[in-house]
Amino acid sequence: MSERAYRQRLEADIARWEADGIIGASAATAIRGTLRPIEQGISVATVVAIVGGLLIGAAFLAFIAANWTEIARQLRFGLLLAGIAGAYLIGAWADRTGRPYIADLCAAIGCIIFGAAIALVGQMYHLGEDFAAGILLLSAGSLAAAVLTSSRGALAVALVTAILWSGSRVFETSGIHLQFVALWLIAALLAVAWNSPMARRLVALAAVAWWVETALAVEFARLADPLFAAATGFGLLLGTGLLLASLRSPAWHAFGLTLSNYGAFALALLLAFAVALHGDILRGRGLPVVAVAVAALAPVLALVAAALARGGGAALAGIAIALALGVIYVLVRMPQAEEPWLLYALALAAMICLVVSGMVDEERMRVAAGWVGLAALIAAITWAVHGSLLRRAVFLAAAGLVAVVLATLLGRLWPKERMR
Amino acid sequence: MMSLVTRIPRVLLFLLAGLIQVGLIAAIVYDRARILREGREVALQTRPVDPRDFLRGDYVVLSYDISSVPAGPLTNTPVAYRGAPLYVKLRPKPDGFYEAVSVHQDAVPVTGDEILIRGRTVYGDRCGTASGFFCDRLQLNYGIEKYFVPQGEGREIESARNEGKVSVVVAVTREGRAAIKRLLMDGKPVYDEPLY
Repeated sequence: MSERAYRQRLEADIARWEADGIIGASAATAIRGTLRPIEQGISVATVVAIVGGLLIGAAFLAFIAANWTEIARQLRFGLLLAGIAGAYLIGAWADRTGRPYIADLCAAIGCIIFGAAIALVGQMYHLGEDFAAGILLLSAGSLAAAVLTSSRGALAVALVTAILWSGSRVFETSGIHLQFVALWLIAALLAVAWNSPMARRLVALAAVAWWVETALAVEFARLADPLFAAATGFGLLLGTGLLLASLRSPAWHAFGLTLSNYGAFALALLLAFAVALHGDILRGRGLPVVAVAVAALAPVLALVAAALARGGGAALAGIAIALALGVIYVLVRMPQAEEPWLLYALALAAMICLVVSGMVDEERMRVAAGWVGLAALIAAITWAVHGSLLRRAVFLAAAGLVAVVLATLLGRLWPKERMR
Repeated sequence: MMSLVTRIPRVLLFLLAGLIQVGLIAAIVYDRARILREGREVALQTRPVDPRDFLRGDYVVLSYDISSVPAGPLTNTPVAYRGAPLYVKLRPKPDGFYEAVSVHQDAVPVTGDEILIRGRTVYGDRCGTASGFFCDRLQLNYGIEKYFVPQGEGREIESARNEGKVSVVVAVTREGRAAIKRLLMDGKPVYDEPLY
């Protein structure tokens, strides 16, 4: 739940409690007094100023491009450096005069001009084409800017370019690119230090993207099945996120939840993807013991989180990870098996575990991930079944019945749990 | 680290961020100037390029006689890692242009007029079992394969290049790093690169 939504809910509750006589006016004031001031959102004037800044930046680059050959090389070089310096000078002024969004934007624009300068300097001085090295330079420079200026925009540039760098190295070397992890860890520490929702989301998204690239690298190097590698990565994100969320520090807790939610969404969608592909393009590539051992770590992390937090939500998420990875393991090992109804049932069970896990922990995004997974799975099963339509109807009806029975049982258990 | 950063005035932090990026850009240009200043001059003959790879935007694609070399003893030996640098030993021919003598995974000693140039494999490092071995012929890039020209001037150089009239003088450092120093047509300099 976002801070703003929480405040609205709390205010409505306080008003109701006061009206019902549960609390007095002084208690209501005391509760309101414990809340720290909510961060002001971005104003219309700031949005217009941001658009203006972007247009000026675009005009600057267009001016240089329009007069490229007429401007002496040294002057062109000087203009690029002045562009970078100017962006940070305006950023420093904006920060000093209490305009944090403008300051953030200026740092991001500085990074973009820095990237353009790398490309243009390469052109001006006929430097050799090493796309990955240029992108790494841009990423490192932007990360340094993010560390120094706390700019979320600079962090976004750093992470997007780090993903591009990692991807180009994967295609170049056909191997797993572990150097990305070092850059990502710095970004993750920044997100925790800032305790910023946007930074957390960027870092989590970058982790998902890197695992997709790693799955491609696994395929290129013929190390193991790429789907299983991606599922392992997403499971690890979910498990590690839950473990971090069990920590007492609010910043680490929030970071862990974000990481786990992105992992949950990615795992749910990948599971449906694997079911849909089954029998079509899965090739049954071998799975080395190391890959299986790393995969086994994912549910263990979630179970450790459950033990630390003494909550059932993480444990259910651990079961969901184990079921999802187990299903994908069997699917990639036996790609041509005919309509594996048991696996379909286990996949659906995994997503139900994810939904219930989110409900127990009151984590709406995890619940949503489970629902999305369920919907995608039903679509995938419908797509994947090539044989008898009657069998598919029987399976879906049976699965529906089991779900209804489960719902009835939970409905009877739930009030008792709440009464305690 | 973060506590140290928060103690410094934010204006200074913004300026430092800008300074780092300006410094990185300046370092690229300085490094290239160092190659031109300290590197030994090597004349290379260009060769025609596949028409599909001709002028892209404002640059001319340059390919050299030394761009495609026999792998020699490297043939069928394992590739350390894809994209790893290779060293090509060059030697001057009687006409003054340099030719490739041998290719190595590590820097090797050179004598007299010989010089080592560092390149990266474009094709030829995915042969054998699991595509992890060198093929018998290697296509290499030395970072001197593009020459940016003012708009509209590329066609002339392209035509001359395809007639074998274009040659290039590159500066090569002792570590094997190269940068284009001069572009010649019919032996006459048409572009001379200043240091900055």
